[in-house]
Amino acid sequence: MGVFELIRKDFLLELRRKSVIAGLGLYLFSLVFICYLTFNLRVNTINAMTWSALFWLVILFSVVNSVAKSFIGERKGVLIYYYTVASPQQIILSKIIYNSALCLLISVSGYILFSIFIVNPVQDHLVFFSALVLGSLGLSTSLSIISGIASKGNNSNVLMAVLSFPVVVSILLMTIRVTKNAVDGIERAASTDEILNLLAINCIAAALGYILFPYIWRS
Amino acid sequence: MKKTWWKILAIVLLVYVHIGGLLFAVPRLRIHETIRSLYFHVPMWFGMTFMFLISVVYAIRYLVTSSKEDDIRSVEFANVGTAFGVLGMLTGMVWAHYAWGLFWHGDPKQVGAAIALLVYLAYFVLRSSFQNQEQRARLSAVYNIFAFASMIPLIFIIPRLYSSMHPGDDGNPAFNAYDLDGRMRLVFYPAVIGWFFMGLWISSLRIRYRALNEKISETEL
Amino acid sequence: MKKLVYLMLFMLSGTVVQAQDFEMADVMRSNGQIYVVVAIILIVLLGLFTFLFTLERKIKRLENKLNDKK
Repeated sequence: MGVFELIRKDFLLELRRKSVIAGLGLYLFSLVFICYLTFNLRVNTINAMTWSALFWLVILFSVVNSVAKSFIGERKGVLIYYYTVASPQQIILSKIIYNSALCLLISVSGYILFSIFIVNPVQDHLVFFSALVLGSLGLSTSLSIISGIASKGNNSNVLMAVLSFPVVVSILLMTIRVTKNAVDGIERAASTDEILNLLAINCIAAALGYILFPYIWRS
Repeated sequence: MKKTWWKILAIVLLVYVHIGGLLFAVPRLRIHETIRSLYFHVPMWFGMTFMFLISVVYAIRYLVTSSKEDDIRSVEFANVGTAFGVLGMLTGMVWAHYAWGLFWHGDPKQVGAAIALLVYLAYFVLRSSFQNQEQRARLSAVYNIFAFASMIPLIFIIPRLYSSMHPGDDGNPAFNAYDLDGRMRLVFYPAVIGWFFMGLWISSLRIRYRALNEKISETEL
Repeated sequence: MKKLVYLMLFMLSGTVVQAQDFEMADVMRSNGQIYVVVAIILIVLLGLFTFLFTLERKIKRLENKLNDKK
């Protein structure tokens, strides 16, 4: 079974259960709405830094919730089925691609929700969307692998939070910086460093995941 | 590892460092005598990085060999590295209180180092959450590699993107402005080497202790 | 050897005149109080080293004991 069949299987399984997508959407919506209410944005405004930090925090929480399921939620039968039909490399690749797609979907809809309820202060859309794409890729790659590790532990949900937070911090710091630059509409040369760093982090995370996943998977 | 000469070397170097670090002349700069903390604070971070490097090498070796000894070595080097990191953090905070007026100033280097330490604390949490010895060793070796990979940007890349008040801000993480001064190098490099050997020594003791423990529990069974 | 002595003297000679002078603990050096501090730190260090050595000896003894048993 190839990578594409695995991805297709993931999509079919998730989309067939409408509750998954609906639940995720509602989660995202409530997060944005809570931000709107707590900052009392009908009368106040927020600056670029706060906007980018809030945006990425909302994305992070929804992504952690959806990606964490990729290995933790699976039933034993499904895992055994995977063992028999695919190699670990295929599995991690399909999970990363599927999670990245999901993550992009979340971040784009998060952006739309933010521009409806809060504001849409983004001036440089090219830089913003490159940050969005790279950030989603990085988050989903590292979180998929961490979820693989955490699923083997005793209390995987706590473990997931403990293990993932420090690893994603560097990705988040970079994306928040780039987003802030995009919001402020600073010249693009100012953000190239961060974007290259993000790219490098993504490559390293993906390569490490690809090489190391067989060791996680065996057992 | 059981030879004595490098332990003597570590002792001689550290004695020299503590005498020279307090007595030798230093450049008269804006941070006055506290420039001497370079001799004692920065080697902690060097020691931490070296210990984590050795730890990750043993983690990789474990994945290849699956021998219990490599796992023990990996953990103990990570342990000593974390101890170095905590000491570096505390000494840095004392200096920050003098220079910036606050123990926790939120300087990018401080924050990056704190997160890097958190990564390694997460490593120990991960280890404690497995019952099966083989599984614990394998998965924590994998996470160790991730931890090292995420420590590099946190300590060496991200702090350079932000402006910082930490000495030596132009480029090198620690001491660019002063390393031109040959007199300071004469104490600083021995300090790094001395603490590195100290780290090796303490880790080797801990590793031997752990190995003894394993053997005893085996014979009891 | 002579070079080394000169180097030590140069390092111990202290003050190097610079255009901008900042306040240093020169008094503490000139009246010799600094040597007290150095002595105290050295005692602590040496104590630590002896501790490590005795710890190592204990571990070695245990190792030998275990190996003899086998």
